[in-house]
Amino acid sequence: MKNKYIFGGIIVAVFLTLMIYLFTQTNVQYESDFTKVMEKGRTVKATGSWVKEKNYEIDKVNKTFSFFMRDEKGNEMKVVCPGTIPNNFESATSVVVTGEYTNGYFAAKDILTKCPSKYESPNKSS
Amino acid sequence: MIGNLILSLALAFSIFSMIMYVFTFRGARNTLGIARLSYHAMTMLVITASVYLSFNIITHNYEFDYIYNYSNDQLSLGMLLSTFWAGQEGSFLLWVLFAALIGVFLQSYTSKREDLEPTVMFSYTAVVSFLLLMVSPLLKTPFAYLWANEIYIEAAKINQQFLSLSILQPFLMSDGQSGQFYVKVNKELYSLLAGQGIEFNTFIIQGKGLNPLLQNFWMQIHPPILFAGFALATVPYAFAISALMKNYYKDWVKQSFPWSLGAGGVLGLGIMLGGYWAYGVLGWGGYWAWDPVENSSLIPWIILVAVIHTMIVQRKEQKQGKEIGRFAKTNLILSITAFVLVIYSTFLTRSGILGDSSVHSFVDPGSLVYLFLVIFLLTFLIAGVGLVIYRWKNLSDEHNANENIWSRELSLFNAALILLASAIIVFFGTSAPIFGVTVEISFYDEMHIPLAIVMLILNALSLVLKWKETEGKEIFKGLRLSLILTLVFAILFIFVAGVKDFMMILLGVSAAFAFFINVEICIKVVAKNFKKIGSYLSHIGIAIFVLGVIGSGAYSKHADVDLVKGEKQNVLGYDMVFTGYEPFENNTKYRFNVVVTDGSDKKVVSPVMYISDFNQSMMREPDIVEGFTNDIYISPVGYEDNEGSSSGQEIIKINPGEEKVAGEKIIVRYVDFIKPDMTVMAQGGDFEMGANVIVQYEDKIEEIRLVSRKSGEGLTNIPVEIKALGAVLTLNHIDPMTKAAEIIFQKQAEQPQGQNVKKEVLSIQASIKPFVSLVWIGVFFTVLGFIIAMIKRSKEE
Repeated sequence: MKNKYIFGGIIVAVFLTLMIYLFTQTNVQYESDFTKVMEKGRTVKATGSWVKEKNYEIDKVNKTFSFFMRDEKGNEMKVVCPGTIPNNFESATSVVVTGEYTNGYFAAKDILTKCPSKYESPNKSS
Repeated sequence: MIGNLILSLALAFSIFSMIMYVFTFRGARNTLGIARLSYHAMTMLVITASVYLSFNIITHNYEFDYIYNYSNDQLSLGMLLSTFWAGQEGSFLLWVLFAALIGVFLQSYTSKREDLEPTVMFSYTAVVSFLLLMVSPLLKTPFAYLWANEIYIEAAKINQQFLSLSILQPFLMSDGQSGQFYVKVNKELYSLLAGQGIEFNTFIIQGKGLNPLLQNFWMQIHPPILFAGFALATVPYAFAISALMKNYYKDWVKQSFPWSLGAGGVLGLGIMLGGYWAYGVLGWGGYWAWDPVENSSLIPWIILVAVIHTMIVQRKEQKQGKEIGRFAKTNLILSITAFVLVIYSTFLTRSGILGDSSVHSFVDPGSLVYLFLVIFLLTFLIAGVGLVIYRWKNLSDEHNANENIWSRELSLFNAALILLASAIIVFFGTSAPIFGVTVEISFYDEMHIPLAIVMLILNALSLVLKWKETEGKEIFKGLRLSLILTLVFAILFIFVAGVKDFMMILLGVSAAFAFFINVEICIKVVAKNFKKIGSYLSHIGIAIFVLGVIGSGAYSKHADVDLVKGEKQNVLGYDMVFTGYEPFENNTKYRFNVVVTDGSDKKVVSPVMYISDFNQSMMREPDIVEGFTNDIYISPVGYEDNEGSSSGQEIIKINPGEEKVAGEKIIVRYVDFIKPDMTVMAQGGDFEMGANVIVQYEDKIEEIRLVSRKSGEGLTNIPVEIKALGAVLTLNHIDPMTKAAEIIFQKQAEQPQGQNVKKEVLSIQASIKPFVSLVWIGVFFTVLGFIIAMIKRSKEE
């Protein structure tokens, strides 16, 4: 056996195992149906849009902000996020929050806003 | 028209040049000259197209869809010019431009080396042709006209003198909700205007403007460098394909080597500047967020670095007289992979496939572009891999002896292997969204910590190894000094710096080990031959970089604080005072000054907040005090000039006749619906609609009228304050059909009597990030090393 194959084999085997293990530990699924988000009780990436009619609230004591999110079917849920409102929150076309649904609201760890400004075809319907 | 014509011609010349190069390769005479001429013609045309686009951007020709969408009259010249690559079409054109220009040098380089030119330039022009196809009128040209597809444009962006034009009236419409006026722009309108002798450029006088997140100094520098790196990554691919086509492997490593180093250096620089930019812009979480867009340019870079390591071995053996040399297949496959991954990166970020998982939002560019990118990817993947398989037998080395464990050959191979493992991890994590899953950032972090430890130790050991075989005694002798220094570092690291985490200790100590031995050997080698400094510099850079990552990544401290103007507060060991704000840039932005005191050292940190016209959003820009040991990073969160004015907001959904409880004990009763005046409404005049509401709190009762008022300026909801309750009610929405109302109930915090003094409060998020400076110093050394090595290797032949 050649040394390069022994070394290569060991490194590849160790890291593949570690990678697959960690992947199963840290992978998060996308979910655009909030009824499923609410029943799952596990960490998901919920995608939907901000319900603009219901303004967001800033909780200065707990350093969080909360808002309502709606999925494609019209289901709504409350989302509580740590920290500040992202820069382009108001203009975001869609929002992706990572977290878990507990105690009647979605406790987000992370929020991602998609703004329609970059690489978009300009379609505005009247 | 002109723009598209130029690009189409360039595409034709590029394809023609490619065909002529094939004929030359097949032995045809007289075709080489034509191929070169066509290539240069193509380059001239691409330059012309780029100048034409820039010219139109500077002169604000909003008749182009691209220019309308990404620029406006307010941008400064630098920003204006960088709107060239603000969108998909323009950034592809930029890539084409760099590819074409680099090709000129490549053509000249290859023409001086035997029969290299036809094969190298054949695969190179194939790539250029594909890129040109991407910006051709068939796919995504930056020269599409605004009216080509029907769109709605705000009336404010139209020259006001034309608004009263009678032919325009059927195209004017207002948005029922916001009351905004829009003009429907399409081919019909264009021809009507043309009929009146009105030039479209005088008709539309303003563009949408550039996303404020992109309005940053680095927008002018980072994208061009990154695309230059992408373009350079084509060169090693072309060399590999050339060698396989000719079935001759003696020279290609030597020739491809400096280009690979150049590509690695430039791409690395581009990635690093992207990180630096991200660090200074809020919402990105530091210099590296493992965002798919960042990752996808990192993967080809890692592969380029890997192939550089194994190329050294093959080059060495060829120098010693071997025909092919060790790791020939590895080198070919990796050179091909690096470029294919550049296309894959483009596919990931431009096809819309990552839709939900990236900060960079890429809305679906259409299935045609998607399909094209898949074809682009598969063509170059299949061509490359297919050729390697076809030549497999010829590539099997000439009875190479087994690599000794203690040999430089094997350690270089292992370096490539570890880099490959890193690339696979990032590839795997970044590609996961295609299958509907994503990995968390911890996946990348946890995978890379052990990998980095192995990599650093391996790098340190490899420096004392000789080619072929090394004796155990020699290894120890070579390591002695560094081991002592590392031991000292380890003691300081654990006991003085107080690092407790086991993996962090291992990582830090192995980084220090790699650092000391690289410095030691570097000094010895450079004393004899300065030109060899490149690789040592790069490895010293990596070691420094890792130390910086440990400090800033694992030991950052954060605090959320409210700073009251004029009051000193201790935040994370620094005294901070908010001293007030000042407007700048014509009162459109505000700087919030915070004086940070550390001992006798006083610094003003000025984070910025403003409402952007572009997206009507609050934009927040952090400010950083950069220091060698610590960065003080202050992000603005919010500003209030009266404490507690915006507490408790609630939305009440209510139907006529219903009663709801708001706040704690306040009863809101919806009495009746206020009907709009139908005749006025039909004539488009001003009207009101809303709800009569009774608010009751203990024994206090108040009847109020909550309305939405429609006027020329749009729809306004009029807030009603009830002083007795310290509350404000606003109608949020009312449905004229069901009469259901949504009322915003805002309770003001009770203020202690007699304390109506205005209080200004700035909320900030402060972080102390130790040794971020080492990240930049490290990456700078690494990139510098690449450039020096490239220069040395290009002179070697």
